[in-house]
Amino acid sequence: MSDSYHIQGTDADSSAAADPSPNDPSPSDSPANETVRPGETEELTPTIEEIPESQSVIRSEELTVHYGDEQALQPVTVGIPEREVTAIIGPSGCGKSTYLRCLNRMNDMIDAARISGTVRFRGADVYADDVDPVALRRKIGMVFQKPNPFPKSIYDNVAYGLKIQGFDGDMDARVEQALRDAALWDEVKDQLDSSGLDLSGGQQQRLCIARAIAPDPEVVLMDEPASALDPVATAKVEDLIADLSERYTVIIVTHNMQQAARISDKTAVFLTGGQLVEFGDTDQIFENPENQRVEDYITGKFG
Amino acid sequence: MVRKEYQIKLDELRDDVLYMSEVVAERLRLALDALEQQDGDLGEEVITGDAEVNELYLELERDCIDLIALQQPVAGDLRFIAASFKIITDLERIADLATNLGGYAGEAHHEVYPDVDIQLIGDQTLEMIETAMNAYREETADACYEVSEMDDDVDELCESASELVVRDLIQREQLESDEDIEATMRDVSRLLLTIRDLERVGDHAVNIAARSLYMIENDDDLLY
Repeated sequence: MSDSYHIQGTDADSSAAADPSPNDPSPSDSPANETVRPGETEELTPTIEEIPESQSVIRSEELTVHYGDEQALQPVTVGIPEREVTAIIGPSGCGKSTYLRCLNRMNDMIDAARISGTVRFRGADVYADDVDPVALRRKIGMVFQKPNPFPKSIYDNVAYGLKIQGFDGDMDARVEQALRDAALWDEVKDQLDSSGLDLSGGQQQRLCIARAIAPDPEVVLMDEPASALDPVATAKVEDLIADLSERYTVIIVTHNMQQAARISDKTAVFLTGGQLVEFGDTDQIFENPENQRVEDYITGKFG
Repeated sequence: MVRKEYQIKLDELRDDVLYMSEVVAERLRLALDALEQQDGDLGEEVITGDAEVNELYLELERDCIDLIALQQPVAGDLRFIAASFKIITDLERIADLATNLGGYAGEAHHEVYPDVDIQLIGDQTLEMIETAMNAYREETADACYEVSEMDDDVDELCESASELVVRDLIQREQLESDEDIEATMRDVSRLLLTIRDLERVGDHAVNIAARSLYMIENDDDLLY
């Protein structure tokens, strides 16, 4: 606990800052209210597959988060494998979004958030004093639940990060590449000057993905990226995630367990009280989880 | 407990598979009785009764597919449904083998080979089915291995029985009349088929145990 950080709201941007975790906890399903039957707590000994240092792009060690007095995350120690899709699942209020937001310091924007432990990105502490969170987020990009394009043209949405970065190369080529990689180019190539807000929900989300990948990040974090989309748009985003994982490490929080099963290589299961209970190959988690409470959760016996 | 309807459907599937196994074991029991009593009519009953088993089989197959399509089962539930889906196929095959036995009942005359104890082998296979289905119901891995061991006995019994029949045939004095030759050919071939069919029943019981073991422990140790 020696290296504990008290983060004050440092970044300007932040409509999201008001609520610690907009998608998650409501008073009714906060961890304290979860019914724990006697004798079950012992079963919560985590089963965490060890990803070798050399293959993990992000690694958290004893990472905990408090919002005020409430502990949102029990110590999490896990390595995230490079160029694979890691899904994070768990009931509401289990800390999965909180964990995701620690990885690129999105929790910096929340005044009450207190983080301890470490997050290492390619071995370097992302909470070190000399790390610029904005620069960090170009390396570890993020896509949110609700598509949130800027009220700008499609072109400017994608070029935004690159401009901030001071990119002075062939902007047209980079914008086109990002839109192609986001499987959106063919649909928007003749209307690059029209507003991003004029696109359909599914297109907007792919635009946000294009925006996230334009600065050429190494990791893309996704927080429920398809939950506001219809099945066809969801399928497109899911296909896209598979494509992205050839070049990027993708970490995706999802409520939809079938989605996690379909698209991920590894699955992390968070349960009651912000504990990472099991982390391993997705097929193993969904066919034969080690932990009884993970089994109960994914088969719907509680939740 | 949430997903109550789903839990009820899972329980129903288990009950229905167990019911099917009882019907199938009963068919096999009847077929063995028909053989023992050389009762062609009873044998015929086993054959016509197979339609009921086929119907049960198709119904349960449909139930499994519906559960997979509509409920997206995972983990233990998925293994349970996958195991059930395979087990009903083995049960259906056992019932088919029982109809074979029923068909032999009116034709064969086993008293010419008093040392071949078809009933003993038959009882062993019935016990295997019961043990395997108990393993499925109670989720006991040990019982699965037990079935596999019982099958070694059945295989041995079947092999020595076949040997006995063939050896006896070779050593038999030359048959004179065409009628005798005909009758002996029929008896011997029927008896060898009976032994082989019972041996196959044992194999299906092992399959049921193997699928149950997969269901219980995600262990494919007994599969082939």
